[in-house]
Amino acid sequence: MTRLLCTATALALITPALHAAEIRVLNWQGYGTDQDFATEAFEEVTGHTVVHEYFNSEQETLTKLRTNPGAYDVVLINSSFTPQVVDEGLLAPIDTSKLENFADLDPAFVNNDGLNEDGVIYGVPWTWGLTSIAVSNADFDTPPTSLEVLWSPEWEGRVSIRDDAVEAVQIGALATGQSINDVQDLEAVRAKLAALMPSIDTYWGSENDWNQFMASGEFAAATYWSGSASRSMGKGLDITFVVPEEGAIGWLDGLSIPAASEKKDAAYQFIDWMIDPEFYAEWDKDGAPATANIAAASALPDDSFNKAVLGDPAVVAKVQFMQPMSDETRETYLKLWQDLKAAQ
Amino acid sequence: MRARNRSRIAGTLGRAYLAMILLFLYAPILVMAAMSFNASEFYQLPFEFSTTWYERMAGNDAILRAAARSIWIAMVVTAIATALGTASAVALWRYDFWGKRVLQVLLFPPIAIPWLITGTAMLIFFFGVGIGRGTPAVIIGHVALALPYVIVVVTARLATFERVLEEAARSLGASPWLATQAVMLPWIAPGVIAGALFAFAVSFDQFVISYFLSEPGDSTLPVLIYTAIRKGFTPEINAISTIIIAFSMVVMLIAARFTSFGGER
Amino acid sequence: MAEAGHLARTDRLRAAGLLAPAYLWLTVAVFLPLSAMAFFSIITDVPFGDTEWRVTAENYAAFLESPTYARLLWKSVLLGVKVTALCVLIGFPCAWVLAKMIRGRSREALFLLVILPFWSNSLVRIFSWAIVLRGNGVLDKAVNAVWPWNVEVNLLFSEWAIVIGLVHSYLPYVILTAYLALQAIDDSLIEAARSLGAKWWTILWRVVLPLSSSGLIAGAVLVFVPVVGSFMEPRILGGRMGTYYGTVIEDQFVAVFNWPLGAALSFILLAVVLAILAVSAPVLRKART
Repeated sequence: MTRLLCTATALALITPALHAAEIRVLNWQGYGTDQDFATEAFEEVTGHTVVHEYFNSEQETLTKLRTNPGAYDVVLINSSFTPQVVDEGLLAPIDTSKLENFADLDPAFVNNDGLNEDGVIYGVPWTWGLTSIAVSNADFDTPPTSLEVLWSPEWEGRVSIRDDAVEAVQIGALATGQSINDVQDLEAVRAKLAALMPSIDTYWGSENDWNQFMASGEFAAATYWSGSASRSMGKGLDITFVVPEEGAIGWLDGLSIPAASEKKDAAYQFIDWMIDPEFYAEWDKDGAPATANIAAASALPDDSFNKAVLGDPAVVAKVQFMQPMSDETRETYLKLWQDLKAAQ
Repeated sequence: MRARNRSRIAGTLGRAYLAMILLFLYAPILVMAAMSFNASEFYQLPFEFSTTWYERMAGNDAILRAAARSIWIAMVVTAIATALGTASAVALWRYDFWGKRVLQVLLFPPIAIPWLITGTAMLIFFFGVGIGRGTPAVIIGHVALALPYVIVVVTARLATFERVLEEAARSLGASPWLATQAVMLPWIAPGVIAGALFAFAVSFDQFVISYFLSEPGDSTLPVLIYTAIRKGFTPEINAISTIIIAFSMVVMLIAARFTSFGGER
Repeated sequence: MAEAGHLARTDRLRAAGLLAPAYLWLTVAVFLPLSAMAFFSIITDVPFGDTEWRVTAENYAAFLESPTYARLLWKSVLLGVKVTALCVLIGFPCAWVLAKMIRGRSREALFLLVILPFWSNSLVRIFSWAIVLRGNGVLDKAVNAVWPWNVEVNLLFSEWAIVIGLVHSYLPYVILTAYLALQAIDDSLIEAARSLGAKWWTILWRVVLPLSSSGLIAGAVLVFVPVVGSFMEPRILGGRMGTYYGTVIEDQFVAVFNWPLGAALSFILLAVVLAILAVSAPVLRKART
């Protein structure tokens, strides 16, 4: 924050005409940027106010950016979607020199294929996490070590996966020992998922569903996101997040600036604050996904979920990070998933 | 004597049946209200009394603002849709003209096509023609979705209107338009009120259009609820919903006390 | 009244004046946007930015190529029929009681009470149903509290749950439209029939149903049409059983950015719904006379 303060003062000196701006952020609800403490601190230091708009799916982000040019100044985009948005010319290249905290970001994320195109970076790596499984401690004395737990007859009717074609296929790919980004044997995935379907009473769609189903005992084991798992535990759900031997799906979220934004300077200031270790330390207390900032990650207390689970090199070695995906692949997966669902 | 007994039994059975229907209609509403007083954030049973969610709601500006916004938008939409819809229904009933069937069939697309698609179409179109987004766009969209309901309901009521009544009034010397006002409007009043109630419900629950067409920061209650779902919504949503229902119930019962629509025959 | 197509000039102006505001409004807000959607349904890709697109029939062909869509549409139509039938069977007697058995002020109050649940948010309502219907939920506890033997009631994630949720959402339409029609029937007509010795089912069949059919049909249409395309109730209350035609359309818009296919599927839905209404119209009209 002190650094942010310096930047703000510096900017104020360089550009005396700089007015307080209202910046508009497009993000999932409850995903860091709209933490009260964060927007308050930001407003206090920079004078800029922050207004949020939320989306419910990545496709919607695209729609909103296309149909509302100039309406947003900062937008969260998953790295597997970024190339598509860049190709439509909707994002501005990031001038990393305007971000004080950029040097602390993990080079592995900074060089991520999804965020870069032709040597230019379009998204500032912000958070990452895993899609894996979480189990109820009431049902499991010792957490399972394999994804096969979802297929186990013992838990029939009490397992679940998210109602999402890409995620379902990728879980199937992990379970059949394939790369999630290059599924060679799609039929094996289909067969594996078809075998799973009878065990599922309901899919889940949101953190809200997941928490309620876990709390009411509908679920014993289900796929889940690491950031959400940490938040659910924070709210008192007795669960364990497991990274099985088959591995887990890794994802990376970046913050981008739309090409049509008219308040880019304020947007840079906001993004810089978002990757600030001071912001992250505070957010992590509420249950946050893992940070892309090395300094922020190492500053976490040792018992924090993000350090203890996601900071473990053995876990990291098992993760397959999601890469950009073509529309055709996405539609193929959706067709496969819909056919499976319709056959129930 | 036997007939009176039988009608008393029928009356009792009828009331019992009505009570059962009301229980069915209110079951989820009661659960919703109960959960707003339940301590568990995850809607867990057993029930444990708490007013936490009301306290949190009272301090949650976003929810209160969104609720207020939803209510006034729904009121504006109801007024416009009821007026325009009633006028159309009267014309469709009163006049026979070429293309009438087409106009009637055209009421179905807005009802049949899922709102998600209609909403997306509006977003694209409004963007294309420069209406853009904002409260006027939201109201334009809501009214359009509410109109078919008003027209269908009022038309159904009009179908029961014996023209004799109108002719009787005319033969008494009133001009047709005066006759319309004097005879027809009171007759269709229950239909108009029912149409207005539907219009309010459509707007108040409409999510897709408000979601696509509101300015950032200007969300309505349904939008807030739908976007909150990803992170998990809390019983604060139940608390505000309970207050709104309780308040509407009081208003409606007062309205019922002092007005009599449809009246006795 | 004037002959069809030959309205007097003043009448024509009046009709136009009454109709124009609503239909102009609908044109701007619904028909033109939907026309744009109809256009999307015959092209390959949404024409944003520099995307290449051409006219094609493949989105409609997709419906025929895979048996999945047709099967789900059939499943959705059946759901629509079931829900509509239940709404009519449950709602009509309720409207009758309201219109003919209750007198005085309490009738207005009850009439309003029937509509009120409608004003709650549909998502909150559906989640409340989930709490009622699930194993160890409210219904389970209520049944076990009065029933001496231990039974397990878990309706959640079944077709029953979907039907219950939908009937609850749409019942008020039927009750209200039927009420408006029944309330318009003169009691003396029924009395006359009765005094002539007609049995109650004859009165119902020959007098009450024909006179109230306009309301009943309007109500049934207002239920059937949206239920066929519904996706929220099936998804949340149906669980694994909740894949219907509406959920597939939703996925095309939300999960993949395939508006052309999603639009094509929606227009097929519209066509089928209109066809069903057209086929049943003569039957219903006959029932009316």
